[in-house]
Amino acid sequence: MASEKELNDFLQGVESRAFKRTAYAVRDEEAALDIVQDAMIRLAQSYMDRPAAEWPMLFQRILSNATLDWFRRQKVRNAVMQNFSDLESRADDADIGDILETLLPADRVSTESASDLVSRAQILLVIEEELTKLPARQREAFLLRYWEELDVAETAAAMGCSDGSVKTHCSRAVHALAKALKAKGIEL
Amino acid sequence: MNACRPTLNAAELEAIEARFALRVCAELNASSGVLPHDFSERLRFARQRAVESGKQAATSIAQPQFQGELLTSLGQVGRHGSASNSWWKFASVLPLVVLIAGMALVRHFDEVERINAAAEVDAALLSDDLPPEAYTDPGFAEFLSSNQPHTAVN
Repeated sequence: MASEKELNDFLQGVESRAFKRTAYAVRDEEAALDIVQDAMIRLAQSYMDRPAAEWPMLFQRILSNATLDWFRRQKVRNAVMQNFSDLESRADDADIGDILETLLPADRVSTESASDLVSRAQILLVIEEELTKLPARQREAFLLRYWEELDVAETAAAMGCSDGSVKTHCSRAVHALAKALKAKGIEL
Repeated sequence: MNACRPTLNAAELEAIEARFALRVCAELNASSGVLPHDFSERLRFARQRAVESGKQAATSIAQPQFQGELLTSLGQVGRHGSASNSWWKFASVLPLVVLIAGMALVRHFDEVERINAAAEVDAALLSDDLPPEAYTDPGFAEFLSSNQPHTAVN
């Protein structure tokens, strides 16, 4: 059974990102704080006896469920609209050239670098803004897969979906972000 | 320029997407550790509360297990380990058994008393000079009640 110190260290490591991720989803910092606290307590009360290696996936699953519970309680209509837009969106995987333009680092003389256009803080604000605009499932898959650094199977377990769904959500999220950032003149 | 770009397979495309995503996340990481002071403090408090609640939950789970082991060990202590357990079990249900037995006994005696009373009435009716039907006559019943002091004296 893991110790209290291990649990404390783990929670300290994930609390900031968990708060940010939840804030992107609910767009309310106070609510995000409550949700993260609720998720921490659930993890500590129910899964403290599990091996520490399982905590990342468990915590992310608990956090996702807690966020869903918040939406259900709030009966936020835009959550449903985000899910509908998630079904409608399609990846532009038919046009490889278009994809490379948006995803690859700029190597064309005509495109100015990010540091020439905006400051790093402004880039961050734009990224965060675009993240909040993503459909919920795409955002969740993107953040769990690339920010929390879970693998595909762990992300699927945390989201309660298949590996293929995770890859699809991630791909669509990446393309959507790339297009949005490119439209605002930001290239990373 | 687009015509010069090579075709990509799924793995290469996934790698490109991953690299872009990691660049985005690198920007996010720069901000994730920078939170307003009050939020940082509230998160710290929430973390401490969670750890404390986890410790309490673990303690409450351990206590019933400990009590079970304690009772088992107490039952095993002494010369008549299993017999003591049986005696305590019997002693715990004894009051209930006594109560049920007493209620059954009272009911039995009450039944017997009612039967005896009915038997006495029947015997008196059958041995009397008057026929039993006379006693169902309202006029005769009135006669008996009005003449009762006289019959007692005679």
